[in-house]
Amino acid sequence: MTGTFQRSLRDYEQIVGKPVLHQLEQLASHLRGKKTVHVNSTKTGGGVAEILAWMIPFMRELGIEASWEVIEGNEPFFNVTKMFHNGLQGNKVPIKQNHFDAYKDTNRSNSEKLRPILEEADFVIVHDPQPAMLREFCPNRKGRWIWRCHIDASKPDRKVWKFLRPLVEQYDASIFSMAAFSQAMPHPQFLVAPSIDPLSEKNTELPQEEIDAVFDRFALKRNVPILCQVSRFDRFKDPLGVIHAYKLVKKFSPVQLILAGGTADDDPEGAEVLNEVQAAAAEDSDIHILLLPPDAHRTINALQRASTIIIQKSTREGFGLTVTEGLWKGKPVIGGDVGGIRLQVINHHTGFLVSSPEGVAQRIRYLLNRPELIKVMGNKGREFARENFLLTRHLREYLTLMVGLQQGFDNRLMAAA
Amino acid sequence: MSNKAVENKKINQAKAKSNNRGHLEKNGDIVVAPFEIKDCALITRTGNGLPAMNLREFRQGVASCPIESIYHHFCETVLRPSFDDPEFHNDLARWARRDLHDHVLAERLEILDPYAFANFEELRRAVLDIIDDHLSEISYIAWVDEGSSFHFLRATTVVFETGHSFSKPSELVKVISEMTTSSLYYHFWEARRRTEDQRDDFSHWLKNWPGRYDKVIEAIGNIDFYFMSLRELQKKLCTTIEEAMKSL
Repeated sequence: MTGTFQRSLRDYEQIVGKPVLHQLEQLASHLRGKKTVHVNSTKTGGGVAEILAWMIPFMRELGIEASWEVIEGNEPFFNVTKMFHNGLQGNKVPIKQNHFDAYKDTNRSNSEKLRPILEEADFVIVHDPQPAMLREFCPNRKGRWIWRCHIDASKPDRKVWKFLRPLVEQYDASIFSMAAFSQAMPHPQFLVAPSIDPLSEKNTELPQEEIDAVFDRFALKRNVPILCQVSRFDRFKDPLGVIHAYKLVKKFSPVQLILAGGTADDDPEGAEVLNEVQAAAAEDSDIHILLLPPDAHRTINALQRASTIIIQKSTREGFGLTVTEGLWKGKPVIGGDVGGIRLQVINHHTGFLVSSPEGVAQRIRYLLNRPELIKVMGNKGREFARENFLLTRHLREYLTLMVGLQQGFDNRLMAAA
Repeated sequence: MSNKAVENKKINQAKAKSNNRGHLEKNGDIVVAPFEIKDCALITRTGNGLPAMNLREFRQGVASCPIESIYHHFCETVLRPSFDDPEFHNDLARWARRDLHDHVLAERLEILDPYAFANFEELRRAVLDIIDDHLSEISYIAWVDEGSSFHFLRATTVVFETGHSFSKPSELVKVISEMTTSSLYYHFWEARRRTEDQRDDFSHWLKNWPGRYDKVIEAIGNIDFYFMSLRELQKKLCTTIEEAMKSL
């Protein structure tokens, strides 16, 4: 299964340059013909499916026999795995023995179908907790098994982790997005940061008319600087703090604010935050609260490109891909000094790290008074994203890890076929 | 076997033996094995120890972490995604300033140049000395915020052939200007870790012409590279070699 992804690695040459693609080819030449199976729990929707949609075809293009398997489950199973997800992120969850039983049953039944493929594979990469137990049901494993945790598992719910830990520590290695998200385990734990696809709808270059169109569509003023935060209406994203910062700036300069996020129908707390945000924004026509559908990628792209400064004033954050998106669009980013934002926002280079609404306001005023600096920082941010946070780097790290696993880890390995 | 084949065989033997450092004499002329351009990719992993949340835990971690972690936090930072901050060139100083908010300690750690030490164990001892001195000066132990712990990391470097090589020293500037940063890292930074006299691969290769390129080798050796980014180093190397070649 590879979905409908149509692009080739060659399409990225104009963006990342020939040497980067050459590196991928050289690394992959040591993995040619290796059977590599990725397993996750959904074929569409969500960050993992988005990654696999490009990674599988790219691995194939590089000569690796990559495939993608999706486990099937019923509603009770997905309720349990939702609890696992929340529990790994540190929320207390009411998990009981019958939930663990449902999880085991689904993994066992999926293993009946997948066992021949998985046991034969040279590499099996299992994404997140949903299919993590498959390894238990594949006793005649030929290859290396890697658990890829996309979740911040730094402070997991005790009960959830007590159940999952014995399952995942049996793997040959695990991958986390950042050191701060990892858990101590007896096998090597690798760090691979997420990435963005510069040719996806969310990040591709847009014709100027399409960018201009959002001004009319959302009643934005054309000659007034736009501040933009794209994120869920979640307390950790601090949208109220952003409005406070905007109001502090507006006393001195004309400015508009966009807070763009999804609808919050299935999230009671999100709905509550949204109500508070709407109340705080009331009677100010320069604050635009936009509730966009999950597939509004091009609209978000256009809004980010129409903006002057991107804000991500989180008080707690995973990696923060909206920051990467802002950098890629050549905008300075003012971000909370937390999580993965700290890896991306380099003070005075790609933007500013801040810890309060006042800090945001001060940096906005600083930048608005220096239009040249906005351009310089934006250019730097785009180059920083190009070198570090595009999918080619992501793929290179997977290939490096696979070569390493194939040869046994040392400080320095000479790649051999 | 023809003369050409014998010569090629000798060159290949020299290449295999020398890793860019072999040469043969042929009728009084020097036949030097071509410089094989390699590239590398890093994959970072967590170390074995616990993250440090205060200066005492940090000291404990520095003392007990694998030496590869010391190398990683001082030298491999130049290749890592997070590196674009000219204010700090090693992770220890950066953490002391940004998370521990200890400016004095940060400055003392930042000035350390790992290549000024005979080996990385000596560097570790120097770091421990600085921390111990500092611990004796301060009246309370500061803790970092949750999520700001220092994680001791290490990396594996996977080295691979690029399939490209060159034979003439006059090509050096052009080749370096076209190298990927990771290739430059491997031949310039990482070379110091695997060569007895801690030199870069270019200088080693130029030594195959005894005496002829000493000025170039000396000029390369005088570059204060540790506080440069790889792109800056690339430019500096090109201008330095170009100038030195002119003076030959």
